Amino acid sequence: MNRKEQKALKKQAKQDRKFEKVVDGSRFKQWRSRRPFWGATLTVLAGLMILYIPLHLYAIAFIPGSLVFVGFIFGGLVLIIGLCEYFYPQLSTFFGIATIFLSVLSIMGALGGFLIGTLLGIVAGALNIAWDKEEIDMDTWERNRKQEKLEQVNEAV
Amino acid sequence: MNKEQKIIVGKTMKKKFFTALMAGFLAFGGLIAAFGFTGTAFALPLGGIGDFYVEFDELQGTNFQLLPHVGETGNSDAEPMVRNKMDEVVITNLHIYKDLELPGIGWVRFHIRSTGPTNITGLIHDARLIEADLSFNELEIEEKNTTEFSQNWSQNAATINIKGAKIVTDYLFQTVVSLDGAKISAERIDGPDMTTFPGSGK
Repeated sequence: MNRKEQKALKKQAKQDRKFEKVVDGSRFKQWRSRRPFWGATLTVLAGLMILYIPLHLYAIAFIPGSLVFVGFIFGGLVLIIGLCEYFYPQLSTFFGIATIFLSVLSIMGALGGFLIGTLLGIVAGALNIAWDKEEIDMDTWERNRKQEKLEQVNEAV
Repeated sequence: MNKEQKIIVGKTMKKKFFTALMAGFLAFGGLIAAFGFTGTAFALPLGGIGDFYVEFDELQGTNFQLLPHVGETGNSDAEPMVRNKMDEVVITNLHIYKDLELPGIGWVRFHIRSTGPTNITGLIHDARLIEADLSFNELEIEEKNTTEFSQNWSQNAATINIKGAKIVTDYLFQTVVSLDGAKISAERIDGPDMTTFPGSGK
């Protein structure tokens, strides 16, 4: 068995372990695995951080020419996108790109939530873009698992 | 096939993740570099962190307006102070510093220095103490018969010149600021700057 095959087998085993954890896991774990949970959570945190400065400056937010108002919009949009990611996981790539774009632009008007909001937003956006789902048929999964166990027993005998 | 018999498992594609992360940081770096080259920051607010100190050699401002104001400081929700507003400001040798007590380290002073001229548009500045040499052009002091304290009186001038200033500041807002030759540094100090209102004991 060459190195490439070994690597593929290792990857497969890792994925199987992950599937097993989700299948045997709690309802929350299964709900979490159906959406980009960590990406969405970090996006919400980034939105709150970006909103921190404009919320402290609400008194001057509506002065003509003030960029604080723009900070409100950027922070609010990031927060809304974060919440939408929980409910519309199929749009995770679009949400991810929008999160990165708005987080970087939030340097204007909100100082990017002391830059922490911007950095969190970039990581969250990347997590959302990279998120993908895999559907498992439970019948096939159970059958394969039983088969594997049987093979292991046979080998041991 | 029953819907219940299918289960969705999410995964993160490493390659996509790092590509997106790199793209994000590149965009972030590009924006910072664009600001860095011009030394410009938009809508820079400093406030809600308590007293901080502003020193400079000379300030030249236009459309100066001074108003009574009550604002929040690091120790109190409402303190009397003055609000200065100016349209266009040029400052030479600006030095802003803030003393903070960090747990386990002690008192640390954070400095922002600008060796070149600092150009500010749309300055709003709340101060508790101003020590400086002031000169005005077309100075006007106006009173209004109103119970609204912030409009009761105001001091306006077409231009203002401030020299050798030390200002105890509680809030600063600039629509656009350009700091030439800016340096940000921190140093450990024995104790905080205690300059406040004379006789207030604070």
